[in-house]
This record gives sequence, C-alpha cells and structure tokens, in this order.
Amino acid sequence: MPLPANNRQSGGWKAILFRHETVLLLVLALEWFYFNAVGPRFGSLDNMYDILRHSVEIGLLALVMTPIILTGGIDLSVGSLLGLCAILFGKLCRDAGLSPAMAGVCTLGIGALAGGLNATLITSLRLPPLIVTLGTYSLFRGLAEAITRGADTFTNFPASFLFWGQERWLGVPAQAPVFVAVAAGVWLLVHRTTFGRSFRAIGFSPEGARYAGLPVERRLALVYVLAGIVAALAAILYTARLGQARADAGTGYELYAITAVVLGGTSIFGGVGSVPGTLLGVAAVAVLHNGLVHARQPREVAGMLTGALLLLALAGSVVPKMLTARRVRRQTSPSNLQPTETA
Amino acid sequence: MKRHFREVSIAVALGLLLLFLAVAAPTFYQPQPLLSLLAREAPALVVACGIALVIIGREIDISVGSQFSVCSVCAGLLASMHWPPALVLTASIAVGALMGTVNGALVAGLRLPSIVVTLATMVTWREGLRWLRQGVWVDLPDGVQWFGLSQAAGQWTLILLALLVLVMMALAMKHLSAGRFVYAVGSDAEAARLAGVRPQLITFLTFVWMGALVGLAAMMNVTQSPQVDPNSGTGLELKVIAAAVVGGVAISGGRGNLWGVFVGLLLLACVSPALTHLHIEAYWEKAIQGAIILLAVVADGLRSRKEKR
Amino acid sequence: MVPRLSHRGQNSETGSLKNVAERPLVQLQHVSKSYGGVRALKDISFDLLPGEVHALLGENGAGKSTLIKIITGAHPPDDGVIEIAGHPVRHLTPAIARSLGIACIYQQPALFPDLTVAENIALRLEPAAAVRRVDWLARRASARQLLQRIGAEISPDAEVRSLSMPEQQLVEIACAVGAGARVVVMDEPTASLTQKEVQLLFGVVRELQLGGVGIIYISHRLEEIFAIANRVTVLRDGASVGSYPVGAVNEASLIRLMVGREVSTIYPPAEGAPGEVVLSLRGIGCTAADVSKVTLDVRAGEVVGLAGLVGAGRTEFARVLFGITPADTGEILMHGRSLSIRSPQEAIANGISYVPEDRRRHGVILDMTIAANMTMAIHRKLFPCTWLRFAAEHRLALDYIRDLDIRTEGAETPAGFLSGGNQQKVALARWLATRPKLLILDEPTQGVDVGAKAEIHKIIRRLAKEGVAVLMISSDLPEILGMSDRIAVMRSGTITTVLDGKSDAHDVMAAALGQAEKGRAS
Repeated sequence: MPLPANNRQSGGWKAILFRHETVLLLVLALEWFYFNAVGPRFGSLDNMYDILRHSVEIGLLALVMTPIILTGGIDLSVGSLLGLCAILFGKLCRDAGLSPAMAGVCTLGIGALAGGLNATLITSLRLPPLIVTLGTYSLFRGLAEAITRGADTFTNFPASFLFWGQERWLGVPAQAPVFVAVAAGVWLLVHRTTFGRSFRAIGFSPEGARYAGLPVERRLALVYVLAGIVAALAAILYTARLGQARADAGTGYELYAITAVVLGGTSIFGGVGSVPGTLLGVAAVAVLHNGLVHARQPREVAGMLTGALLLLALAGSVVPKMLTARRVRRQTSPSNLQPTETA
Repeated sequence: MKRHFREVSIAVALGLLLLFLAVAAPTFYQPQPLLSLLAREAPALVVACGIALVIIGREIDISVGSQFSVCSVCAGLLASMHWPPALVLTASIAVGALMGTVNGALVAGLRLPSIVVTLATMVTWREGLRWLRQGVWVDLPDGVQWFGLSQAAGQWTLILLALLVLVMMALAMKHLSAGRFVYAVGSDAEAARLAGVRPQLITFLTFVWMGALVGLAAMMNVTQSPQVDPNSGTGLELKVIAAAVVGGVAISGGRGNLWGVFVGLLLLACVSPALTHLHIEAYWEKAIQGAIILLAVVADGLRSRKEKR
Repeated sequence: MVPRLSHRGQNSETGSLKNVAERPLVQLQHVSKSYGGVRALKDISFDLLPGEVHALLGENGAGKSTLIKIITGAHPPDDGVIEIAGHPVRHLTPAIARSLGIACIYQQPALFPDLTVAENIALRLEPAAAVRRVDWLARRASARQLLQRIGAEISPDAEVRSLSMPEQQLVEIACAVGAGARVVVMDEPTASLTQKEVQLLFGVVRELQLGGVGIIYISHRLEEIFAIANRVTVLRDGASVGSYPVGAVNEASLIRLMVGREVSTIYPPAEGAPGEVVLSLRGIGCTAADVSKVTLDVRAGEVVGLAGLVGAGRTEFARVLFGITPADTGEILMHGRSLSIRSPQEAIANGISYVPEDRRRHGVILDMTIAANMTMAIHRKLFPCTWLRFAAEHRLALDYIRDLDIRTEGAETPAGFLSGGNQQKVALARWLATRPKLLILDEPTQGVDVGAKAEIHKIIRRLAKEGVAVLMISSDLPEILGMSDRIAVMRSGTITTVLDGKSDAHDVMAAALGQAEKGRAS
C-alpha cells in the first residue's frame, strides 16, 4: 500500500494511524447522519458556522496540546489559563483603558509568561508535568477568581472587537481565519519542521533524543510557552464571542482538548500523533456537542459522552498494542526455542 | 531526623500558624467555631488518607471530588427515603467502591495513565449527576443530621471517626503487609513483581479502597446539614492532593505517611481563617492552594536534585 | 520434584575441598547456547562443589554472563544438562532456581530505593502473603542479624537510596544469605569497593564457605582470585579452556589462557600516516562519572582503540567527551584551541560525535524511520530554517543505505524493524552525516553478525583515511588489536597506558588487568 507523502512524517506505526483517522472519519459521518435525522436545523450552513464558532477555543487548545502530548507530557492548566487571560484582558480594557488591540498583545504576553512558569518548573527542575500543571490549574483559576472577587465580569467591549467573535468576514465567522492560521502554524510546526521531529523523538525516548544531540529542555520549554500564548489567544476570542469576560471562562476545556487530541490518534504516551487527526477529533467533539443540543439533549449529556469517548479512545489505542505484544511474546518465549535436554 | 524533615517542618509551620492565629485572631479558638471547622474537615481527612495511598502507589485520582458528590447525593436520597442509617452508609460506601472499581480496572487492567482516566471519570460522574439531579438539593429527614444527636455530639463523632480512619490506615500502612506492598509497588513496580507482589492487583485495590473511603466521607458530609448540596465535592480533589503533597507524599511514589498528610490538611484548613483574619478575601484560597502545591513540589524537586549530586 | 540442597551445618567442619566425594551443588554438562546465530557458549562443562569459591575468568564476551544466566534460569540452554545437587533440572526458571537456593548478586542491585534496608530484606525474604501483620521489631532484628553476620556496618533503618553502591551490594548479599542460598553467584562484586570493603567481602565469602555454600566468583582482579578462590575456570570465545586449582596457575598462565588464540579475522590495514593532533585531552576528569586525570592525544586519520575491562570507565569517559556528563577538571583542546563541552549540542558543534554503546536506547530511536534517525543529528545543516526537506532527507538516507550496505526495504522503515547489525549501521550513518572531526565509537560491533562486522571495520578504516580521528571503545580484543593504530588502556576511570597498535593481546590484557601496576590504587 503506497503511503501518501505527508504520512512520511508520522514516524512509525503509520498503518495504525492511517486506520485511526479512517475510523474517526467514520465516527464523524455517523454523528452527522444521526444528528441530521434527529434535529432538523442541524445540517444548515448557519449551524455549521455555529459549530465552528463554538469549537474555535477548544480547537485552539487542542491544537497546542498536540505537541505537548507528542512529547509525552500533558498540560492541565490551559483551561484555567484561558479564564485568567480572559479577565486580565477585560481588566486591561476596562480599568487600564487600553485599546483591545493593545490589551490583546499584553494578554498574549501574560499567556507566554504563564506558559513559561510551567516550562521552567518542568524543564529546570525536571518535575512531572502532571503535578506542575495540576498546581497551575489551581493557581491560574484561583488568581482569576481572586482578581475578580468571584463576581466581577467585564463587558462593554467595542463593536470593532466583538466583530471577531460574533460577526462574519467574507462570509465565514470572523474567528475562522484566526483558527485556520493557528492550525496551519501548528501543522507546519509539527509536521514540517525539525521542532516537530524533536517532539516526536522526545516522546518516544527522551534519552535517545538527548544522545542524538537534540536540545530536549529547550524543545519542552517551547511547547509549554506556546500553550500559554495560544490559551491567551483563545481567551481573547472567547471574550469576543460571548461579549463578556468571566473568571470561570474555559472551565473544563482541558478535558475537551485532551479528548480531541487522543481521539485524533495522538498517543497519550507520546511520539505518535498528527495535527489533522486533532482537527478531526475537535470536529467530532464539537459536532457531538452541537448535535446533542439540536437533539434536545441536556448539556450534561455532552460532558458525559465526552468523558466516555475519551475512555473509549484510550482503550482503543492500548488494546491493539496489548494484543500485539502478547502475540510477540508468545513467538519469542524461551519455550519456543530448542528443548533443553535429555538426561 | 532527616528522614522526617518534611513532617517536622510542616508541623512547625502549623505551629507557627496556630500561634499567629492565637495572637492576631483569638476568636479562632472559640470552641464552637473551632469544632465546626474540624467537623467540616473530617470528611476531607478521610479522603486525604485514601488519596495518599493512591499517590504512594505512584498513581493519582482526580475524580474523588465527583465521586464525593455522587455518593453524597445517593446517601441523601436513600436517607430521605427513610432507609436505616447503617444501610445508607453501606450503600454510600458501595457506590464509592464501584466508581473506584471503574478507575482501577482502567488503570490497572488496561495500563492507562491514571491522570487521563480519572480526568475522564471525573467529568463523566459529575455531568451524569448534574443531568440526573439538575442541581437540586436533597432534603434530609429529621433524624439524619448529626446522627440524631446534638450538634456538638455529632461533630465530635465525626472528628473521632475521621481520626479513627487515620489511625487505622496509618497502622495498616505501617504494619500490614498489604500496606507495605503499596509502598513497594510505588517505589519500583518491577522489583515488586520480582519479589512476588502483583503490582496490578495492588493498584486496582488502591483505587477501590479510595472509592470506598469517599463513600464513607460522603456519608460524614451528609450528616452535617439538613440538606445535601450536589456540588459538595467540587474542588475536593485539589484540596486533598495539596494536603498529601504538602504532607510529604511524593508524586513519584513509594514515600510518605499519613501523619504528614494530617498536618498538611490542618495547615491548609487553617490558611483560610488566617486569611480572613488578615483581611485577605476568601477568593484567594484557590490561588494559594495552587501555589502551595507548586511550592511543595518544587521543594521535593530541589531536594532530590541535591541528593543526586 | 528436585529435593532441597543439603542443610547448612552439615559440612561446617570440612568446609571446602577436603571431601572429594561431595556431590556438586551445580553441574553443567555439554551446555551450549546461541543468541540469534551467535554462539555464546560451546559445549561447556562446569561444576561447583559445596564450600568452594570457584572463580570464572574470561575477557568481555567470552561467555561468563551467558553461563550465569543459564545457571540462574534466566535463559534456557540450547543443549546440555543442568544438574542441581545431583538431580537434572529441565526448564529451569528464575523462580525455580531461587527456590533451589541459587542467588545472584549483580552489580546493579534490584532494591526499592524509597524503603529501608530492613524492609528491602524483608520483602525479598518474606512470602508475599497479602494480609499479615508486619512485625517491624522482628524485621529490623533479622535485618540487623543478617547484616552482622556478613559484617556489614549498615543500619537497618537506612533508606536504600542513601546507600552507596557497595553498601547496596552488601544488602543484596544479606538477602541471599537470609534466603538460605546454597549457591551464590557474585558478578564483579569488588568493582567499586575500597580495600577495606573488599576484605569485608572476603570475610563474608569465607563465612559462606564454612556453611557449605558454593560461590561462583566472577572478577577480573587476578590478585583477588588468588586470594579467595579455590578453583578457576577460564572461558574463551564461549568455550571452557579448563578448570584449574588456584595453586596450579599464576597470573601469566591465566592471561595466556584468556587470550591465546589465532587472530584469524583479517582487518583492513591502515593506509597512510596519521596527521596532526585533532583532539588533545589534559587531565580530564568528572567526579560524577568517576573519571579522572585522562590525558590523551588523537590524530587525524588515526584509530585509537580504547581497551579495558567492564567497569574501567570507558563509556563514562566517552560521555564526558560528548557532554552528557561534562568534565569538571582538565582541558580539552581541539586543533590547539581550548573547548568547553557542556552538552551534546556543544560537542557536535565542535565536531565530536559519539555512537553510543546502548544501541536500542541511545543509538537509534526504534519507533522512528531510518531516514529520520539518520538526520537527527544534522537538523541545522540539512534543514536550515528548521524546514524539513523530505526529498533531501530521503536522498541522504538512500545514499547511506547504499554506502553502508544496510539491509532494509526502504528508508521509511522504522529502525526497530532492522537487525542489530543494520541498526548499528543506521546509528553510524547518523554520526557520519555530521562529518565529525573526532568520532567516538562505543562497542561498534557488539551483537553484530560477522558479515556486518567486517563491513563496519571497512567503514571505520575508510573514515580514518578521510582524515577523521577515531576513538574506538571495544571489548573485543582481536578487534582492538586489528583496528587500532594505538591502544589506550583504561582502568579505574583513567588511562593507565598507551600501547602501540602492534602490541600483542597479552600486553593489552595485562595492562587492562593492571598487572603492570604494583598493588591496588584505592
């Protein structure tokens, strides 16, 4: 089976990945047909744009989570950082009197700093990403709540700013070009640059990457700082879409992002994964959520199904490996070598 | 003494904090509010004991908050249907253990990373509960609160119950071979396997035990007010993980004890009233919790870095 | 069911070899073992008597570890009979070997770092019953007793993580003693011990002997073998060259037995004279890596073989040069210019490349393609502006595949699908692509079949001819002798002698064993 050119970058187990994306497309198609049948307005263009709008923030987080998980790490703090950046953005606009553009730039800087905090703790002290980002998950959300005293929300943004979240540009929702730009950027980074190569190498074998002369700490720092910046961007778009910035913005988004990434075929253990896969995963999650709304299912069902979907995706990625390993073990077990004796 | 450096230093920190409160906010030491505080923290202590065991086994469980909410609501509903309290307690523990079994099967059976598994189950249980109950509080019949005793008696019962769990688990983790196996598996699962221990079984059981403890803690929570808040478990996982990490339980597994966790929980519990008396708003609590987790982990990181040299 | 070996105390008066009619504890007859076409053991016969210290001697790769693996049940033999206490055992497994009283003390102890010594010993010795009360007093007492019995001054309450490597070894020995082992295998037990600790160990060994325990003692330290062993068996190229009572041999004859062979393989000859000095090391040391005062010059076009026994510190030294564990003393000069190498990137930037010893963990990344592996060290050069150029990469990969004769279906096959020899060639290609000034090769033909071996040797010669300075670490004595223009011998973390490439095996082995030195440096 000839492999398409861009699969060359996938590094190992291409066959499985290829299969995985097919399955995902199938799932997407199934969702489509089901929700189309159940909810009349589902298939309209307006709704498609709605799906797009709602999925931009999660999509951005999932995009930037992909290289992190490729390196074998994880970032649980992106949702909380979104909330923190949202209210800081609001504060800069309202209390510091900055223009949305200026405030936006500052917010991106704040996102970079926050990502830098994760990066420093993870790379210089070699602390596990799990507990570091669990700590910052709490810290960032806590700061957001503290700064707003739990109640403050920021509204009254100028229409020129709200345009980005609520209006259309050349016929498509205004967030779309931003999302596409970031998606293209991340895709290039992961699939077409040496950075992406390093991420995979680090995910497969951090020691192997080190011995190959790759600057492991610098690469890891990059992905976590990038996550901070993109989370900030997502916060700005979120604020534009809703017209308000609240401390609880982005709650639970890390789960959706991780689900989308794992659904898309990226292995939670690192090394294997693709950005198109993540995009498909985001689509699957977004269509699911939107479709459930149209099918008049309560909001909670979406959360439950997403959790169940994540577990299925994880199990699905591990079980074939376990079966293969068992087969390999049986083939090379000592008892299959020549019999030991006679006596 | 170097071995217990962490426990000693946080005990000293707690002592200083208590001293500070005695000086700056003597109202903290009024018997009734103090008793209420301790009774309120009693369920968290029980859960913290369980999470410490999970972390010592080199795993993590962030679904305990959702499990707590589910068990609380279940217990509340059964109590409102006038089930006898013993049965309600059993049911609560059983429901918790069941949720723990799901976690354990996925983590130990399929060798999936516990962080992602419990992230998924956390959301699934939470949203499932919200879907079924729509956030409605459960009204409890009269005899349930404080076990039908007076408030003070009820609070003492809860505190003593929590301490009983603490002491029993601490003893089991030190003197029961099954407890030591958790330490072995957390320290080096492969060496444990070579020594005849079954790491997967141990991991599985720590999750089931965690769930059972959550069920117990939920029941303890239910008896404290006339109604059950379906969101009572929100944020619990961070609080107990923070208590464990501050108390010296290493995320890398294999080390830590419950006394440190106990002191860590008290420390965190006293931070909030201390903040109030310092006129810092309560909204800073979550941020401080996060900062404390980070500081504890950094301290561990620096120490192991020094050891390597 | 095989009966348990005789109880302790039965032979306490007679001790070792007085009782010739003793049944051997372990007896191997006509045992052979191959790993994927490579013959590790050929028709070996070996026996161990109760109360005997039987030393096992041989250069790296002679078959000692394979023999041990067979005795401890880790690997089954292809042919031959294993008898434990006179009864043949088929299908020996590690669990069965343990239950029969065979214990092995490795250099890397498998202990629990976070737990105390007492608990470590207890977990190994106590049956894994789930619900049982842990008696800490008993645990600590029995640990203390065991440690005292072997004369180790270790507190039972110490955390294993805080113990030094020799102390951890002593804990392992205590476990073996506590498990009532009848056969104790010690694999290079004195590699990192001081004089005092060695004497301690010898005391333990003698205690064990008195109890009728048989000890298989693997060591390169000839003086120790003469001090403690009763018999010595020499292995060479997987065959036994004989078992001798220790009184019947001396150092010279042992060395002769170890190396005496025809150097039958033909190695590509050196062409041309070496050029100027490329790398100059003055007193290089790294405390973390146990490397000290290394002084060496390597010239362009020269192949310097780095010989030495396992534990001499050659790989550690290579890692210092490559920046994995940077040097903290001494000077590195390249073409006369002083360098500081603190990371692999800096090493590569200065023209130093390293093909690691552990092929599967460090040499290649198994899950990534051949092409990706080959270009992994030259991202800056091949992909300027970080943009991946697949066509160029593919071309480079195909070039090297052809050049090094790598047997593979294509450049996009994952490296893990290749055989060991071909994986090694991929690793080599990765570093050749960096056009290094100094190439460090760590066991370049270990686990590689004969054909690929010869090909790799040709490649090394060609490199030298092109002006690259080559530092080749090898435990294969013929390879060192056949390929090197000069031979640097390492021992205890430093280079002790530099011999001419035309030296003979005896000289190299003697230098590696430190025979030239008087006494031990501690």
